[in-house]
Amino acid sequence: MGTFVEAIRLVIAPDVLIAILASSIYGLIVGSLPGLSATMATALLVPVTFYLSPIAAIATIVSASAMAIFSGDIPGALLRIPGTPASAAYTDEAYAMTRKGQAELALGAGVWFSAVGGIAGTISLILLAPPLAEMALGFSTFEYFWLAFLGLMCATMVARSSPVKAIAGMLLGLLIACIGIENPGGVPRFTFGSTDLLGGIEPIPALVGVFAVSEVMRAMLTAEPPPLPRRKFGSILAGQWQLTKKYPWPLMRGNIVGIIIGVLPGAGADMAAWVSYAMSKRFSKEPEKFGTGHVEGLVEAGASNNASLASGWVPSLLFGIPGDTITAIAIGVLYMKGLNPGPTLFTEKASSMYAIYIMFIVANIIMIPLGVLMIRAASYVLRAPRASVMPVIVLCCCVGAFATGNNLFAVVTVAAFGVLGYVMEANGYPVAAMVLGIVMGTMVEQAFVTSLIKSDGSLLPFFERPVSAVLASLTIAALAWPVLVWLRRWFTRKAALT
Amino acid sequence: MRLSDRTTGLFLVGLGALAAYGGSRLPPVPGQQIGPNVFPLVIGSGLAICGLMIAFGVGHKFEEEAEADLAAIGGAKDAAPERGFFYNLRVLVPPALLLFYVFAVDRIGFIPTAAIIAFTAAVMLGARLKLAVPVAVLAPVGVHLVFSKLLRVPLPDGYLPMPW
Repeated sequence: MGTFVEAIRLVIAPDVLIAILASSIYGLIVGSLPGLSATMATALLVPVTFYLSPIAAIATIVSASAMAIFSGDIPGALLRIPGTPASAAYTDEAYAMTRKGQAELALGAGVWFSAVGGIAGTISLILLAPPLAEMALGFSTFEYFWLAFLGLMCATMVARSSPVKAIAGMLLGLLIACIGIENPGGVPRFTFGSTDLLGGIEPIPALVGVFAVSEVMRAMLTAEPPPLPRRKFGSILAGQWQLTKKYPWPLMRGNIVGIIIGVLPGAGADMAAWVSYAMSKRFSKEPEKFGTGHVEGLVEAGASNNASLASGWVPSLLFGIPGDTITAIAIGVLYMKGLNPGPTLFTEKASSMYAIYIMFIVANIIMIPLGVLMIRAASYVLRAPRASVMPVIVLCCCVGAFATGNNLFAVVTVAAFGVLGYVMEANGYPVAAMVLGIVMGTMVEQAFVTSLIKSDGSLLPFFERPVSAVLASLTIAALAWPVLVWLRRWFTRKAALT
Repeated sequence: MRLSDRTTGLFLVGLGALAAYGGSRLPPVPGQQIGPNVFPLVIGSGLAICGLMIAFGVGHKFEEEAEADLAAIGGAKDAAPERGFFYNLRVLVPPALLLFYVFAVDRIGFIPTAAIIAFTAAVMLGARLKLAVPVAVLAPVGVHLVFSKLLRVPLPDGYLPMPW
């Protein structure tokens, strides 16, 4: 009880409350602008978190990301352009509702079920984390190696692209993480004599480059989205309670699918929304209505993407393995603030853990009033021409990257990763897989090399401990899955030809 | 910049091979067989294998399916109309502006550098002077206020120090 009171005291500190409010507004605005994703909103926040207290720093990330995932629904429903990739799955449905004159219902469902999903995800975090932490206390480097490897494989399995390209992207990320002297031998590796590279590639400038600069680069070639027609909204939350009562099962299913996808390392809100929307259509009593402006899919997928956001923190807090790209950023912040992820976080920093739970719940509750305000303000915010928003983003990339270490080399890193991210995206290589590779590279290598040294170069001990054997078989299954699918297709094609 | 799978795949083969070779030449930890050389060797070989598979078109089917899904949403991503080579070069403007920042900020100071960057970016995105000039004036001052005053990032004053 004492720790709980302490946690509440931590959250109601004025700087934390201001951080929650300010980052919520920031998240809502950035998320609603087409092309600016929730990950990018979070990445640009990191330099700001350097100067905040640990709890306030985490509060900004939690609330900005939750708000951004919801507010991506707004331009999706009004303009048929998803604000964040996590809204792309049901953009068509929401827009069809707007055309039928049900914009309020579509947007209201967005805000209401996002909040419900977020709270369900938080509950899963509260329930899942302690028993898993207990289990994780008995893990050795073998288990950590397989866990990290499994996380990387999951990231490639769920990428909406060729699995081979996803694996290549992930390996590229791991290779980038090799740069520097932070390796088992402490020798300069792939530094090409440059002192700037000795410290390795920092994940934050790389993330800013991949998610922010490459987006500005894409904006240079694409046409500006059409301006939003001014409209007056009726009551936004009317009818949401009836919807909750009408669709309890889709809501439940969306929450559970979102939680599972969030807990899987590497798979995030985008994937949760796609899977949930597809499931909703598959299990619906009225599948023929999907695509014509039917709210059921929105209920399920809207809850799902926010639920995955909270449960994505489970592997991040316990093992330091990011649940998605947003928590990949959050892990960096956790380390910086002395809240090193790991099972001992629960015993040593229990009050901070409770504070994170409370912040999630607070963020999801204030999402409802702030979200309603944002929907009403949307026609003004979305009128901001792109030529006024993007220059500010470029400046924030410069200064934000510089602020990570007061070092201009970080700005060069941002530029390089912007180009890399743009080229990868244009050629179908998923950048999220690469980012996870960069973030987890040092950890994977450390676990791998320490395990190899322990086993004297033999691979057998990697499979001997019970938990590591289970994790190993899961990983190998994930690795073999695309091969099996490909082989099956090859055989069916061959059978069809003969 | 759409390249063929063969090009990107073969590039990855080369990169993987180089990484494996470069890694294998690193000195081991004294008294151990395993050192900083193992990981690049494993990763580089994996990358080379993936590159070969991509060059031979393995897994291309999955990509087509994902693209068909996105195309079904329609308005989600407009296909950019084909334009000339020089028009397409403007893609490189944002990274060039970042490099310009690195080059200029210590010489002429934050505010002038940022103003040039904001102005160029706005004009390149099709803004008229009526919009580009206010952006170039207000954005640097706003960013300076937040980062320098509130977050205490040491931004160089250069020719135009701010009063705060």
